[in-house]
Amino acid sequence: MPEISGFSFPNDVHVTWSLMIVMYPYITGFVAGSFIVTSLYHLFGRQEFKPVARLAMATSFAFLLIASLPLQLHLGQPQRGPSVMITPHFTSAMAGFGILYSFYLVILVLEVWFVWRQEIIERAKRSRGVVRAFYAVLALGTYDQSPEAVEIDHRAIQILAGIGLPAACMLHGYVGFIFGAIKANPWWSTPLMPVIFLLSAAVSGIALLVILYQVFARLGRRPVVPSAMSALASALWFFLILTITLELLELIVMAYERSESWLIISELITTRLEFSYVTVQMIVGGLIPFILLAVVVLMNRYLHERVRNTLSTVAALLCLLQVFSMRWNIVIGGQLLSKSLRGLRSPYEPEVFGREGVLMAIALMIAPFVILWAFDRVLGIEEGEGEPEDASPSEGGGAASHAPNA
Amino acid sequence: MEHARHVLRVAFVLIVVLAAVFLTRGLLVPKSYGLYGPFRYDNVQEQMNVRAPAYAGAVACGECHATEFGKREKGSHKTVNCEVCHAPLSFHVKGDGTVVPAPVDRSFTLCARCHRKILGRPAKFPQVVLEQHVPGPVEGKVCLECHDPHSPKL
Amino acid sequence: MDAKRDTSAASSPGSPCSSGTAGDGATRREFLGGALRLTGGAVVVLMGATVAEANEKGGEAKGEAYNWEEHLYAYLIDTSKCIGCGSCVRACKNENQVPDGFYRTWIERYVVGMEETHVDSPDGGLNGFPPIQSGFVATKSFFVPKMCNHCRKTPSTQVCPVGASYRTKDGAILVDGDRCIGCGYCVQACPFGSRFLHPATHTASKCTWCYHRITKGMKPACVAVCPTGTRQFGDLKQENDPVRLAIEHDRVGILQGHLLTEPQCYYLNLDKEVR
Repeated sequence: MPEISGFSFPNDVHVTWSLMIVMYPYITGFVAGSFIVTSLYHLFGRQEFKPVARLAMATSFAFLLIASLPLQLHLGQPQRGPSVMITPHFTSAMAGFGILYSFYLVILVLEVWFVWRQEIIERAKRSRGVVRAFYAVLALGTYDQSPEAVEIDHRAIQILAGIGLPAACMLHGYVGFIFGAIKANPWWSTPLMPVIFLLSAAVSGIALLVILYQVFARLGRRPVVPSAMSALASALWFFLILTITLELLELIVMAYERSESWLIISELITTRLEFSYVTVQMIVGGLIPFILLAVVVLMNRYLHERVRNTLSTVAALLCLLQVFSMRWNIVIGGQLLSKSLRGLRSPYEPEVFGREGVLMAIALMIAPFVILWAFDRVLGIEEGEGEPEDASPSEGGGAASHAPNA
Repeated sequence: MEHARHVLRVAFVLIVVLAAVFLTRGLLVPKSYGLYGPFRYDNVQEQMNVRAPAYAGAVACGECHATEFGKREKGSHKTVNCEVCHAPLSFHVKGDGTVVPAPVDRSFTLCARCHRKILGRPAKFPQVVLEQHVPGPVEGKVCLECHDPHSPKL
Repeated sequence: MDAKRDTSAASSPGSPCSSGTAGDGATRREFLGGALRLTGGAVVVLMGATVAEANEKGGEAKGEAYNWEEHLYAYLIDTSKCIGCGSCVRACKNENQVPDGFYRTWIERYVVGMEETHVDSPDGGLNGFPPIQSGFVATKSFFVPKMCNHCRKTPSTQVCPVGASYRTKDGAILVDGDRCIGCGYCVQACPFGSRFLHPATHTASKCTWCYHRITKGMKPACVAVCPTGTRQFGDLKQENDPVRLAIEHDRVGILQGHLLTEPQCYYLNLDKEVR
C-alpha cells in the first residue's frame, strides 16, 4: 500500500501509467529524433550528416517496430488493443496513435525501400535459391538500376522525407499532447508539453546517434568522419539548449503565477522528485552536458579529435539519461500527486519481473539494437558492404568507396 | 514512365494492403456502434440489466416484518432505511425466494457509527460521548440495553 | 528477368494479360484505375451495409418500455446534513460489488481552522469516521460525499480511444466493460478522482448512478439508504421534481467549476475548502 502524505482522493493512490508508459515516449522519441537527423541530409541536403544518414534511418525504423509494444504490454485488456484501429474515437489523442503510427510506418517502410533498393537488387543478383527469392520479393520483381530509375528514387526519397518529417514529429508530438491536454492534472496540463516532448525527442535521437555512429564505425573498422561528429554535437547542443530552456521556463512561469496547484507541485519537486528532477534531469543531465557540448562546439578548432569524440560521447550518454528522467518525472510524477491537490503518495517502485517490469523495459531497449543488427545482416546499413556469406556484420568496410549518389 | 515501374508496383501493393485493412475493419466494427454516438448502443441495455437490485427499501421489508416497520414509522428512525443496519434485501431473500438469516451487529459499534460524537457531524444531530451518556462504568455496555433500535428515542 | 515480371503481373487479381512490351503503360494505368474503383466500391458497399443494419436496430430499441429521451438525471447533495455514517459507501459496495480499496463513492471530512485545514477519508468512509484531534483550533467541520459527477462536458469520455466510455441520453456516464481496453486514460482525465481500473477485470469502473436501478424507477442505492436526506436524486425533465427545483432556485455549487466540465452533482452549502 502506498503511503500518503496529506490527503489524496481515495481512488487517486494508484499509479496506473507505469514504467511502460515511461518507455513509450522514450522509444518514440528515438524514432522522431533519428528521423530528424536523417532528414537533415535527405531533405535539407546538409552534407555533413551524410555519413550518419543511413544509420539514422535504420535506427528510426528499428525503434519504430518496437514502439507499439510498451503500449500493448500496459493495456488492461491487451487483446482488445486493435479496437483502437477498429472503432477509433477521434476526440481522443490516443485514437490518433493507430492512424499516426500506421501512416508513419508506411512512409518509413517506403523510404527504407527506396534508399536500400540498390542493395536489395545487388543482393538478389548475388544470391541463390530461397535467399534469392526473398530478395526478389523485396525488390518487387523490378531490377531497374538505370540512372533514370535512381533519379526517380531520389525524388521519391525526398518526397517521402518531406512527408515523413512532419509525420515523425506528429507521432511523437501527440504523445506530449496526451499529457498536455489533461486539464485535470496540473503537472501535465500546459500547452508547452508537445513542444517539450518533441525537442527532447530530438535530443535523445541525436544523442543515440552520436554513440551508435561511433560503435558502428568501430565494428565496421571505418573511420569516424570528424565533420559528422561535429555536426551531431552541434545539433545536440542546439536541441539541448531549447529543451532545457523550455522545461525551466515552464516551471518558472508556474512558480511565478503561483496558482492553485503550485503549492503541491513545489512539494512534489522538492520531496518526491528531488533526486530525479533536480539532480538527474536538470544538473547531471542538463547542466553538465550543456557545458561539455559548449566546449566541443565553441572550441571545435582547437580540440584533438579523440577529445572531442570523448566529450561528445559523455555528453550524449548524459543526455540519454536526461531524456529518460524527463519522461519519468512527467509520467510518474504526475501520478504521485492527487487531484485533491492536498496529497502526495510515496514514490513509485516498478516491479522487476512482470509485464510492466524493469526487465521488460530493458528487453524493450535491447530489442531495437537486435533489429538493427538483423537489418545490417539483411540489407547492410552502409553502402556497398556486407556480403551475405560473411558471418560478422558489416565486414568488408575496407574498400568503402561511396557511390556518387545517395 | 518505364523507369518508374517499381514505383507503380509499390503503389499497387500499398493500395491492396489499405483496401484489405479497410475491409477487415468494416467487418469487425460491432453492429450497434455509432447508432447514438461513438459507443456500442447495446451496452446501454446491458447496463440496465447488469444485476438485480440489492436494496429494496423499507416498504419491502415491511411486507413480512410489519411490527418492526410500524414501530419505525412512528419513531425517530423513520428516515433510516432498514437495510442500513440490517443487510440489503438481496442478502436476505434470494432470487428464488429462499430466506437466509441475516444477523445484525448488536454491539456498540453499529450505533456509534452514526451517533458517536466526532468532528464533522452537524451540531443538531443527536450524538453522544459514551462516557458522559451513561452513569457508571462504560465497559461492556450496549446501546440496545436501553434503546429500541426501531424507535430509539426514550 | 522478363519471365519473372510477367508471372508476378499475371498473378495479381483482375489483371489483364500483359506482355512486357511498350504498350504496358496504358494497360497498367487502366488496371490500376479499375482496381481502385473496385476496391472503393467494395468499401462503400460494406460500410453502407453496416449502417443500414444499424439503423434497423435503432428502430427496435426506441419502442421499448424505458425511453431515455424522457429523463435527464441530476444529483443533489446537502453537505450540512451529512453525518458521515458511511451507509452510502457500504450500500454502494453491496449493490455494485465494488472491490476493496476502490470507491465508486466516498465521503471526505473537512476540519477547518483559520489557518489550516485537515481532510481525511479513512477507507473512503466505509466504516464511518473515527474521532480525531485536529492539532489546531477547528472553527468548523463537515462531511462531503463525493462520487462521479456525470459531467455534461466530461473530459473522461473525450479521451477514451475506443468509445468505451460514453454519455447516455438521460445523462449518465457509463463504461462499456466489454470494449474498454484498460488504457487508463479516462482515469487520468477525470478531475475528481472518480474512476479506477478494476483489479479483476482490468477495465475502467466508476459510479453509474446505479443505472440498473434508476432505469426501473428506483433511486441509486446510496440515495436509498441515506438516513439524513443528504443525498437526493432527481429528474430534470419532471415538473416539480425537488432536485430540479433546488437547482433552479437555491444557491448551488459544483466541484472545480473553472474546468467547465458541467458536473451534474450539485452541492448545497459547499465550502471553499472543498475541491
